[in-house]
Amino acid sequence: MSRKQDLNLKNQLCVPFEPLLTLAAAGEELDVAEQAELAEHLVHCTNCSEALEQETELLSTLAATRVEPDAAMLASCRAGLEDALDRQEERGWLRRVSGAFTPLGWLSARPAWSAALLVMIGFSVGVLGPRFFTRSSAPAPALAANPGASDNSLLQTIASGETPSGLGTLDLHTADVAGINVFPASANEAPQVELQLRAQQPVTLQGTVDDGNVKRVLLDVLRNGERCDPDVRLNAVELLRSRTNDPEVRSVLCHAVHTDHNAAVRLKALEALNGAEPQDIIRQTMLDALVDDQNPGVRIEAINALRDMAAKGQVESDDRLLAVLRDRSEKDPSTYIRLQSAAAIRDLGPRQKF
Amino acid sequence: MGMSVALDRDARQAAVAKLAEEHALVRNAQAGDRLAFEELVRRYDREVLRLAMNLVHRAEDARDIYQESFLRVYRNLHRFRFECSFYTWLYRIVTNVALDHLRRKTSRREDQAPVPEEAEGSTRDFFDRQPEPSAGANPERRLLGQELGEHISAALDRLSPRERMVFEMKHYQGLKLRAIGDLLGTSEETVKNSLFRATRKLRASLDVMR
Repeated sequence: MSRKQDLNLKNQLCVPFEPLLTLAAAGEELDVAEQAELAEHLVHCTNCSEALEQETELLSTLAATRVEPDAAMLASCRAGLEDALDRQEERGWLRRVSGAFTPLGWLSARPAWSAALLVMIGFSVGVLGPRFFTRSSAPAPALAANPGASDNSLLQTIASGETPSGLGTLDLHTADVAGINVFPASANEAPQVELQLRAQQPVTLQGTVDDGNVKRVLLDVLRNGERCDPDVRLNAVELLRSRTNDPEVRSVLCHAVHTDHNAAVRLKALEALNGAEPQDIIRQTMLDALVDDQNPGVRIEAINALRDMAAKGQVESDDRLLAVLRDRSEKDPSTYIRLQSAAAIRDLGPRQKF
Repeated sequence: MGMSVALDRDARQAAVAKLAEEHALVRNAQAGDRLAFEELVRRYDREVLRLAMNLVHRAEDARDIYQESFLRVYRNLHRFRFECSFYTWLYRIVTNVALDHLRRKTSRREDQAPVPEEAEGSTRDFFDRQPEPSAGANPERRLLGQELGEHISAALDRLSPRERMVFEMKHYQGLKLRAIGDLLGTSEETVKNSLFRATRKLRASLDVMR
């Protein structure tokens, strides 16, 4: 039904035009057709013309009572925030330190978490207990455990570096990673990594990124991206970024840039590659991201990385590079990328190192 | 004409430079640089405080919203993935905090018996200190201005938290309906309906004064 056919007056307003009046008073929200329709109606309808005036008057009345934050209040808010941030950082530091020693203290202050933990423990014992008792009489465990570990532990912890063969029949390629914990080490040492593997019997694999098994699992996390949560994949990229001189790591990071469904993972992988030794595969990956990635943040990282590499003289100009930059400088929806691409072309010039 | 194109280009380049600078600040703040975080706060906190003050009409409440919003930003900054502008992300947090606050306030008001005006003490402290723009030194006009302010405040209090937020963002933050929908996690149509309802309620409340 058109607005013209339904001019029931309600509170002296033509009902179908009421929303248009509100939008017109709000400004900039009517399309051309609606503007024309309303203008034509207002010529003939005194009620609606007056209503529009009143609406505008109402808004200016309301505007007159608005308050602006004064400098003193802003300064006091900033000071309060600074204090709160200090307390937050202090608490964070204390929690990290005390948490390492007193997990029970943490739980005692949180009865809901304690209850949830008890339920989880009860559930786990209920589900895994019978399996364990059955298995203890079976000829061989499905997962070979660390020889040093107790046979009857429900969750096996395997120190990858110490027992590289201890993983035995556990297929790392098919094991899903439920979580990654990183424990910072001293300045010259690699951080300790704890990988929680989902298998028939949960396994925790410990070591550093330099340990073969840990590295293999991290690479598989990125190769088979969709099997793990994005947070796990982000952690994997973070851990591998210091090993970009390894060709296998480079190749997997490039794979992540090309295929990972999560933009944050692709972005982080690009950042990691930006710090790597320049290689053709990296340049190619960055160009692909600049052309194909749907996410503007990733494309921005790609053009920034290309310009960084160019500034360091690590990128050589060629036809493909120029063609991509030219295309992006004209067609990319992001103004930033268009300008950066144009700037790169200017810096580059034909067939020069830049 | 030529000059306006040049100005346009300069403005665009300045905007791009500002964006790149902001990205760098966010990255540094994500890496734990407190100064970078404080710089980000200084860029936007006046707007955040203005929004809070005009939503809750109490200095203490506005201060709470300000602090809670930036603390949430600080705690969650590592989750920011540059999938939208930092401003949008920040505003999403601020609107959530402010909506929670308004909802709590509404439910508290429903739970409590009416409080006599004198007993409220400092509830209107900040607003009482604000000069009435057009009242000047004339006591009669000042009284009228105060009365109007009280009516408006009461009328705004009758809006639901969401209607209040939509009305504020549309008329005083100058945001488009679609942008408001994005911030509040709802559709443009829902935002439009909230705006209609808010306008209608305000009109009805303030008509009494005419």
